[in-house]
Amino acid sequence: MSNIEEFPLTGRLLSEYEALVTAAPGVLDAIPGAVYVCDHEGWLVRYNSEAAELWGRRPSLDEPRERFCGSHRLFLPDGSPLPHAECPMAQAMRSGVATRNAEVMIERPDGSRIVALVNIRPLTGRRGEIQGAINCFQDISEQKKIEEEVRRKSKDLEDFFENSAIGLHIVSSTGIILRANEAELELLGYKPEEYVGRHIAEFHADAPVIGEILQRLSCGEKLDRYAARMRAKDGSIKHVLITSNSRLEDGKFVNTRCFTTDVTGLYESENARRESEERLAATYQAATIGIAEADADGRLLRVNDAFCAMLGHTREQLLAMTFLDYTHEDDREQDARLYAQQVSGEIDNYAVRKRAVKGDGTTVYFDVYSSSVRDCTGRFRYGVRVLLDVTEAKHMDDRLREREQRMRDLLEALPAAIYTTDAEGHITFFNKAAVDMAGRTPQVGDKWCVSWRLYRPDGSYLPHDQCPMAVALREDRPVRGEEAVAERPDGTRVPFIPYPTPLHDDSGKLVGAVNMLMDISDRKKAEAYEERLASIVKSSDDAIISMDAQGVIQTWNKGAQRLFGYEAEEIIGKPVSALYPPDRREEELVILDRIKSGEHIESYETMRLRKDGSRIDISLTVSPLRDRRGCVVGASKIARDVTERRRNEERRKLMVNELNHRVKNTLATVQSLAAQTFRGENGNPARKRFESRLVALARAHDLLTRESWEGVDIQELLQEVINPLCVEPQRVHASGPPLLLRPKLALALSMAFHELCTNAAKYGALTTDEGRIKIEWLVGGGARGHHLYMRWQEIAGPAVEPPSRKGFGTRLLERALALELGGEVNLSFAPEGVIFTIEAPLI
Amino acid sequence: MRKLRVLVVEDESLIAMLVEDMLNDLGHEVGAIASRITEALEIARSGQFDVAIIDVNLDGQSSYSVADVLAERGVPYIFATGYGSKGLDPKYSDTPVLTKPFVGAELETALSQISSSV
Repeated sequence: MSNIEEFPLTGRLLSEYEALVTAAPGVLDAIPGAVYVCDHEGWLVRYNSEAAELWGRRPSLDEPRERFCGSHRLFLPDGSPLPHAECPMAQAMRSGVATRNAEVMIERPDGSRIVALVNIRPLTGRRGEIQGAINCFQDISEQKKIEEEVRRKSKDLEDFFENSAIGLHIVSSTGIILRANEAELELLGYKPEEYVGRHIAEFHADAPVIGEILQRLSCGEKLDRYAARMRAKDGSIKHVLITSNSRLEDGKFVNTRCFTTDVTGLYESENARRESEERLAATYQAATIGIAEADADGRLLRVNDAFCAMLGHTREQLLAMTFLDYTHEDDREQDARLYAQQVSGEIDNYAVRKRAVKGDGTTVYFDVYSSSVRDCTGRFRYGVRVLLDVTEAKHMDDRLREREQRMRDLLEALPAAIYTTDAEGHITFFNKAAVDMAGRTPQVGDKWCVSWRLYRPDGSYLPHDQCPMAVALREDRPVRGEEAVAERPDGTRVPFIPYPTPLHDDSGKLVGAVNMLMDISDRKKAEAYEERLASIVKSSDDAIISMDAQGVIQTWNKGAQRLFGYEAEEIIGKPVSALYPPDRREEELVILDRIKSGEHIESYETMRLRKDGSRIDISLTVSPLRDRRGCVVGASKIARDVTERRRNEERRKLMVNELNHRVKNTLATVQSLAAQTFRGENGNPARKRFESRLVALARAHDLLTRESWEGVDIQELLQEVINPLCVEPQRVHASGPPLLLRPKLALALSMAFHELCTNAAKYGALTTDEGRIKIEWLVGGGARGHHLYMRWQEIAGPAVEPPSRKGFGTRLLERALALELGGEVNLSFAPEGVIFTIEAPLI
Repeated sequence: MRKLRVLVVEDESLIAMLVEDMLNDLGHEVGAIASRITEALEIARSGQFDVAIIDVNLDGQSSYSVADVLAERGVPYIFATGYGSKGLDPKYSDTPVLTKPFVGAELETALSQISSSV
């Protein structure tokens, strides 16, 4: 305090330090702001109340004194501790230099801190020595806070500007780019130096657009998502949206801040989406196929024009319907079931052909393709139904199928063997006639022909792959005029003519072939038959002539030449009447009439004229000749010379008669002899019996000669035996099948029945009025061949007694007959009537 | 039946004899017996008979001519033949036939057949 003592308070000019130290305490307090003063050693000597307030304490000015600063603790602005000896005051004291606007942080004893802006000025005395220093400081914590806030905000802004995902640039009033952020540069691909400092118009693709933008901005207008196109460094065009406003200062345009949003991708996808949507919408409406959307219940949500047209309903009508409403009732169940499966996700989609009833009531066929639209979670949103009217196709299909079926039926029904193959020759179809002809059912994989084996007409083996069908397929041409022989598995052979014909599709491609096999066995047989017939006609001894319906001779064989004496050349073309004797002309007319009516005239005997005028006996057969339609066009005549035969027949008859005459005369002579021998014994029954036996024998002979010794009918034989006895016919009942007896059997039976008859007439059934005779016979087969079983029974005659002695009759019946017949006989003299049975072989 | 005078045309004498006996037994008489055609024709033309029995075959010759003569004269006749009933010319199919050998009963039946027309 010596300094203070050096300077008198009055009367001399006080130094600043002295003035401050000596000033009344109120002076310092009056200073707005915190102030404190240190002496030349730095000891705190004065401070005002505001300083004490900022410090949060009142440092002592006496011992212990404080040096350089009255604060509790000091920190640098960055927060590091600042010892009081290092504080700005201490520095200012040491250096003697004033400190301007230094910042320190003061911590109060309560821990709160303030930032203080410090201004220190060293105080010098008159001699320039440092007497002390004064520190004016103020609490700038608030400003600091604001400043910090500003700094942080500006940093955020900067960060925002630089690191924004959106392109940002600032353009000056003259259009020069002042700044551009990373996003902007990246968007366009420029380096900062290539972009910043250039005119913005250089980077716009559309000059009018940027002109407009700048114009509007200069007038203070705001741009909000203004579409523009910018040119990137690589030449590509970027679609951007510019949001911008202008900074005006004092009504003057300073610059613009532009946000550039890259919407190229969006634009492109939007464009694409719009395009596809437009396309879809156009397609949807213009499609000739019906398209509809339906909800889960099948209710129609949207339909296109074609859909309406196909169903004959208006859109309004359809939108009030489900697709089942117009579905034909028979097809509803299937469509409904499938749709339910599709809605539930069991199936993704389905296709179905169904019938639908149109608004006008007609039924149409649709092919429906149904699929679903689902949201991203897979939930069903709506069903898309695409309809194709296939009525025409269906009808065509049906017609085609029907036609094909008809064709198959037709082919099946054809009597000719028909089969088809594919282009490789594999058999694809064959009808029943083919199976019949082949004698087998073709197997899967069979090629070329339905037959089992093939031969050429000359009999050599014909491999299937060389058959006409194979040729037709290989050379793609119909094959005609071939002949082949098919052998069946059973060895029989069928000659046939094949008609293989290649088949082509619309484009002319070979798709297969059809073959018809004409069985010509009949024709072959007919040909052979005709040949044989011709040779028979040619070589026949019979005259075979044909004539037309008018009786004009057409053919004339060798036999005719021999019989009638005309050569073929001289008689063919002449009327057949040339052969008729004048008295038989009418016969010709009768024959012609009968032939014209289609009658066949069995062989009859007549007479004709030879060329030399002589007559010949002929047997003639005449048959009508018909054309293929069955009309009579003429007649064939077969004439045989019967002159010789007739002569022979007459001769034979004569001889038989002569022989008979002799035999009978001989028998009659024997009869006469007997008569003469027994003359005078007129009542002798023996003579009568003899006579009748002789007659019976003769009758049997007579029968046989009459039938040319071929056999006698049993009924007739019985009549001949019974007739001479003059029995009333009703008393003899003979029954049995017609039967021709061999001569020996006939003779033996004749004799036997004669004996039985005479016996019956003498002793048996014919002696009474009521007595009857029953004769029955039958023929039985057996191991020994056919046998005759015959039975003679007398009924209602007198009581029979067995004869006391076996006479000729009995012996003849019992022994001779059995011997002659080689059979068995049984004669029984039963009291009620004689019974006689015969069993004899017929041959 | 009344007594008939019968012409017998028969070349076998034993048979002619038999026929004669039969006729006699039946109460008729034989007017003549002819054994040859010429003779038979002669008798047939001139003789007086009620009926005739004619053997169709006279030693190999047909005796139809005799029948024709008799028919002309209205004399009924019977054929006696060894041919059997079918050995006759169909022209005479109406004529009663006795097939040799025959018994008296047959002769009687035949005579009664023709004598009704006598």
